[in-house]
Amino acid sequence: MEIRPILSAMWRNRTGSVLVAVQIALTLAIVVNCMFMAKSRIEFIARPSGMDIENIITAQSLGFGSDYRHDETIDADLRALRALPGVIAVTPASGIPMSGSGSATGYKTSMDEDAPRETANYYRFDEHAEQALGVKIIEGRGFTELEVRRADDENYDRMPPQVIITKAYAERLFGDEPALGQLIYDGLNESAEVVGIIEHQYGAWVHWSSFDNVMWFPQRQEGPSIRYIIRAEPGQRDALIPVVEQTMQELNSSSRLVRNVRTMEETVATSYEGDFAIASTLIVAIILLFVITGLGIVGLASFTVRQRTKQIGTRRAIGARKRDIIRYFLTENWLMTTIGIVIGTVLTISLNYALATAFEIERLNYVYLVIGMGMLWLLGFVAVAEPARRASNVSPAVATRTV
Amino acid sequence: MLEMNDISRVYRTDLVETHALRGLSLSVEAGEFVAVTGPSGSGKTTFLNIAGLLETATSGSYMLDGKDVSKLSDNERSRIRNEKIGFIFQSFNLIPDLNIFDNVDVPLRYRGFNGNERRERIERALEQVGLASRMRHLPSQLSGGQQQRAAIARALAGDPAFLLADEPTGNLDSLMARQVMDLLEQINQNGTTIVMVTHDPELARRAHRNVQLLDGKIATSNPFTPQADVADIAEPAMQPVA
Ligand SMILES: Nc1ncnc2c1ncn2[C@@H]1O[C@H](COP(=O)(O)OP(=O)(O)O)[C@@H](O)[C@H]1O
Ligand SMILES: [Mg+2]
Repeated sequence: MEIRPILSAMWRNRTGSVLVAVQIALTLAIVVNCMFMAKSRIEFIARPSGMDIENIITAQSLGFGSDYRHDETIDADLRALRALPGVIAVTPASGIPMSGSGSATGYKTSMDEDAPRETANYYRFDEHAEQALGVKIIEGRGFTELEVRRADDENYDRMPPQVIITKAYAERLFGDEPALGQLIYDGLNESAEVVGIIEHQYGAWVHWSSFDNVMWFPQRQEGPSIRYIIRAEPGQRDALIPVVEQTMQELNSSSRLVRNVRTMEETVATSYEGDFAIASTLIVAIILLFVITGLGIVGLASFTVRQRTKQIGTRRAIGARKRDIIRYFLTENWLMTTIGIVIGTVLTISLNYALATAFEIERLNYVYLVIGMGMLWLLGFVAVAEPARRASNVSPAVATRTV
Repeated sequence: MLEMNDISRVYRTDLVETHALRGLSLSVEAGEFVAVTGPSGSGKTTFLNIAGLLETATSGSYMLDGKDVSKLSDNERSRIRNEKIGFIFQSFNLIPDLNIFDNVDVPLRYRGFNGNERRERIERALEQVGLASRMRHLPSQLSGGQQQRAAIARALAGDPAFLLADEPTGNLDSLMARQVMDLLEQINQNGTTIVMVTHDPELARRAHRNVQLLDGKIATSNPFTPQADVADIAEPAMQPVA
């Protein structure tokens, strides 16, 4: 409607508007890039793990002294833990996936010395691993009880004849060829047959690029430390934690320590602590920037309204309705916001380009730019609403009463 | 045209009640040129504000153009101000950020006229006040007299039935004041009713009728033969409250 005169009035009082428009532009550039980075972090944290993390409890048993009997302790623990009501499955484990600590080594697909090796994060589990982790074996089978080697097995140090690997690892090793039934070789050219393929499972290190290169051996971890992965029925986990601890304590507290009985969720959260901190910092920064920019708009609008009291009264006197006054300030603010957004769009894209080049960050998804624009328009509208309402309440009598 | 009956206006603040108008009755015929005089604080501006629907009376009745305007909604009052009334202020009240053309345009936009009609009216009004060549100037680039003429153009552009002026020459030197007065007379001769508040007895004398306010009431209402200068009598130390 009256865009041209509003623009020319703005132009004649540009200092404040230009400053706030620049503020809006910077806010857009920073907010959109922060939003995008926060989203990347959150997506990273939210990647599916393949496991039933919510219902898993992990525990550690650490033997000591000459009386400690590793395999017997494990036998007793497993029997007792599996008998607990609310427990779905338990496997002894050499480590806890996604905990940040684990073991890895390279394997080949042929005896050839020069054959390329692909590193896998390997675990020693028993035949209950599939159930205990809540993963899905999509090809082949799980281990059998007989395949699982005890820690006192005379062949403990040799590569077990069966392995189960993740689909991701299978593809990295064998490409398009079917992996089931194939042999893989370790550095000493000892081999094992792939008897099962896991749909998806995280390894120990969430930041590792091959985080889903995982391999299982049918073995018990040798002593004196052993971990247990205990999967509870939904809703039973928290109640089970003290029961697990107490059960283990009662079985043997003279030659081993029971430690770290906790939820797998805690372990995973610790691994993602840094990512979570980055995402939260970014979100806080976004909120703060919005608040500051909103206050800037409110401040400028309030100042303008106060400064133009007489002009507003005069406009009212010569025929403006309240809604005309409101519309004037909304339009003026919308123009300023839009100018800021236009400049901000250029800044956003340049900033992302610079960041993407310097830090190998993903290129911006423009949906975030559109969201940022929408949020700033909305912010501008919300911020100017109250000053505009105040302006509309200026009495027309002000026209004759002020000098 | 304008008929006020027993109008009172009381301003209440926390501390005091000011009776700005006390039972004022006045009627102005179409085509009249009425000058309102009176000492400072006597209620002239209050009267003009009520007449121009800028504020409402505390009591009394007010008929404008045969219509009771005392109970209209805020929007309706805005519309009447826009269509029927032209305002001229002591300090011109031009919008400093808009050039003269855009200033005259302001009420026409509220009126909803289209671009062509507005342009025609603006040019005609500015021609009438002799400022056609100054359309693109900012108010600050004009003299006081020119600014007041621009304000008159703004008041005239919508063809109001009547013009209300509060001390229109109060901020002008006597030469400029006379030019503005000439212009008002000419406008009145073209048929616009004018009610003008003034301090200047010489200007007041040029109106058809003088109304003298004193203490919120009409002291004298005297066609063609104005009284001695009540305005020059010692002014009470009262300031209008913003
Ligand atoms: N908004 C207001 N609040 C309180 N008192 C007011 C207000 N406006 C005017 N008055 C008082 O009303 C009286 C009449 O004022 P006014 O109509 O401005 O007089 P004049 O224009 O003749 O100088 C004065 O005493 C003035 O102080
Ligand atoms: Mg006055």
